[in-house]
Amino acid sequence: MRGEVVRRAVLWVPDWPIVAALAEADLGAETPAGILHGRGLVAVSAAARREGVRRGMRKRQAQRLCPSIALLPHDEGRDVRAFEAVAVAAEGVVSGLEVSRPGILMIPATGASRFHGSEAVLAEALVTVVVEATGCEAGVGVADGLLAAVVAARENVIVPKRSSREFLAPRPASDLVQAAMEPRQRQAVSDLVGVLDRLGLRTLGDVAALPPGDVLARFGAVGAWALRLASGGDLAPPVERRIERDIEVREEFEDGAESVERLVFAAGRVAEALDRELSGAGVRCLRVSVAVTTERGEVLERIWRTDVGARPGAFVRHMTDRVRWQLEGWLSGTSGGPEASTLTSLTLTALDVVAAGAEQDFLWGGVSGADSRAHRALERIQGLVGAESVLIAEEQGGRTPRDRALLVPWGQEPRGGRRVDLPWPGRLPDPAPATVLVAPEPIGLLDAGGSPVSVTSRLYVSAPPTWAVLYGESVAVEAWAGPWPVVERWWAEDGSRRAFLQVLLADGRAVLVAGQVAPHPGEWALEAVYD
Amino acid sequence: MTVTASPETETSGPASRETVLETAEDRLARARAALAGAEGRLGVISGLALDPETGATVSPRAGALPVDSRVAGLLPGNVLRRGAVVSAEGSTSLILALIARASREGSWAAILGLPHIGVVAAARWGIDLSRLALVPHPGAEAAAIVAASIDGMDIVVLGPHLALTDPDLRRLAARARERGVVLVGTSPHPGTHVALRVLRSEWVGLGAGEGRLRERTLTVARSGRRMGAPDEVAIVLDAEASEGNVGAGGRPSVAREEARRVLGLA
Repeated sequence: MRGEVVRRAVLWVPDWPIVAALAEADLGAETPAGILHGRGLVAVSAAARREGVRRGMRKRQAQRLCPSIALLPHDEGRDVRAFEAVAVAAEGVVSGLEVSRPGILMIPATGASRFHGSEAVLAEALVTVVVEATGCEAGVGVADGLLAAVVAARENVIVPKRSSREFLAPRPASDLVQAAMEPRQRQAVSDLVGVLDRLGLRTLGDVAALPPGDVLARFGAVGAWALRLASGGDLAPPVERRIERDIEVREEFEDGAESVERLVFAAGRVAEALDRELSGAGVRCLRVSVAVTTERGEVLERIWRTDVGARPGAFVRHMTDRVRWQLEGWLSGTSGGPEASTLTSLTLTALDVVAAGAEQDFLWGGVSGADSRAHRALERIQGLVGAESVLIAEEQGGRTPRDRALLVPWGQEPRGGRRVDLPWPGRLPDPAPATVLVAPEPIGLLDAGGSPVSVTSRLYVSAPPTWAVLYGESVAVEAWAGPWPVVERWWAEDGSRRAFLQVLLADGRAVLVAGQVAPHPGEWALEAVYD
Repeated sequence: MTVTASPETETSGPASRETVLETAEDRLARARAALAGAEGRLGVISGLALDPETGATVSPRAGALPVDSRVAGLLPGNVLRRGAVVSAEGSTSLILALIARASREGSWAAILGLPHIGVVAAARWGIDLSRLALVPHPGAEAAAIVAASIDGMDIVVLGPHLALTDPDLRRLAARARERGVVLVGTSPHPGTHVALRVLRSEWVGLGAGEGRLRERTLTVARSGRRMGAPDEVAIVLDAEASEGNVGAGGRPSVAREEARRVLGLA
């Protein structure tokens, strides 16, 4: 087990939640303060500790001991956010560090100390850089194994190699809690420490001397964990935090871009830059996110597939076109985006990054000749009329024929389609109409007496429709069926209560018409034609 | 690519000297197979393909696309001949029916200038939506778009209001014939090989406030070049879907009860 132990440095900022909370509340570090969570204090500042306030105390008790105590709210997000500054500062000195929890940084010390000369120099460099960058006093300890390093950091010492066990032996068993990083784990460990204490095992040396098999049998996984740490061992190699740079290309338009000509150049430049970045990193990507920010601060994003694996060198041209189309769409305000606006920056981010040469082929063995021929033709058409004008259809869940079609520009990832396999109660019956009007046309339905037909609130038709008035012409109704009520989102403002009728006209046409249901009976609309 | 292998040279040539040139023919077949394979990989417009059954090379341009059995009877030879111009007037379902089986079996189709196409109906007819491109509003660039579609698709459907002149259409029809692409129009164009026109459509299943559309008989007039005198054919479309397909809203009374329950009116 000794062989697995990693030499670690730990950087510890005492009372981190207090430091973060005081900084956020703009209070000085010497303010007596406590973090109140639930019923008690979870952290106490040094100044308050001097007054006798301790962790776990109730609010009232703390205020009695120290009337001037500032009680600050508990906020884990704030702790993590604020600690990021410390982590970034420390990364100026070492690489591959791990944030164990807000307040504690774990650093693999072997390489770093060799680089800086010695472990003492490394520790000094860490403390200096953190103080300079964030103003926080930090302690650094170096030792073998996790627990020894954490304890060493609290005392600001460097434990010589292979002496962690001896270093830990005289310390109280309650120090084990320091090595527990998750709140739940901390609870389990402090329970364990309580039991050990009642058993007369007061120091880490006592714990380390226990036979491992018995500990595992009696205390389970927590016991084994404690034994391993108490004897100066390690659990797992440190998780290295490495800042992975997203492969992303960004172009700022200083004075805003409005003209299409500028965008053509910008699109080409950005696409080329992304291609270079990807090639430089030895990867390709399967999808690219195109994002722009507008003058008003809106961020628009679309994701495009880049199925150009079969055609080397096509990536730049392919992406240039897509980016240009997308930008033109956004600029003109036609592509379902917000209003036309000036663009201030453009970002391309590579998604689904894979090693070059490992692009996923289509399920059935690559892009066939016919498919790539069709893809090229569609790209060319998109070049002629714009990306938004070439559509690919998908069936999605819904009740009316119009709702059941999802149209997306070719090459764009379909998003947010409703599931077909849900039941969709009240779905209109088959057959599906072959013509579905993009916008419903008004149609009049009259009964035999010539008065308009409506649908009552009990969902019956007020009178059998006898005449249909379409485009100003009256046609006799031969037969009809329905109404099929389609009640959607009736609980919401934008809900609709409609009833659909299948109507067969005397000229042989069969149509689908929809009307609002009472209490707001409205006009009938021609929705679809069964032609 | 301008490789054209007309059936005559393929069949008559080797047949006369079969015994002598057997090995040469084998070599030719191998070479053609290799060429077809290379073309397939490169995505070149294929001039040759291998017949899966006989292993012989066939020219897809001389070939045909399969057609759904319900409407196959309307077409000469019961197939959509590659390079043909077909018009189907008066019924969108008929157009969908004509292209459905070919789409299902791997052909790409583009529908240009038909913004009202029913996507669900297309899927019900068996069209593979992942190989169906829609250009609802080709606008002023219609001629260029149709030409680009002919280059890439197997079937191109032309809507009624495309900005195409008759000379445009003739040029495009010639191009389609050369590429082996089927053009389907909603009205007869110059050079149409098969013109279909719906005369009557009779629906069954609707009553006075009851039932639903169940079955339709279309009476189609067909005419065309080298098809003899115009005649009429009756076909049955949209025949009764199985009950399971209909969904809970199949019967108005069931749908009504359901909606009332939702609205608290029951």
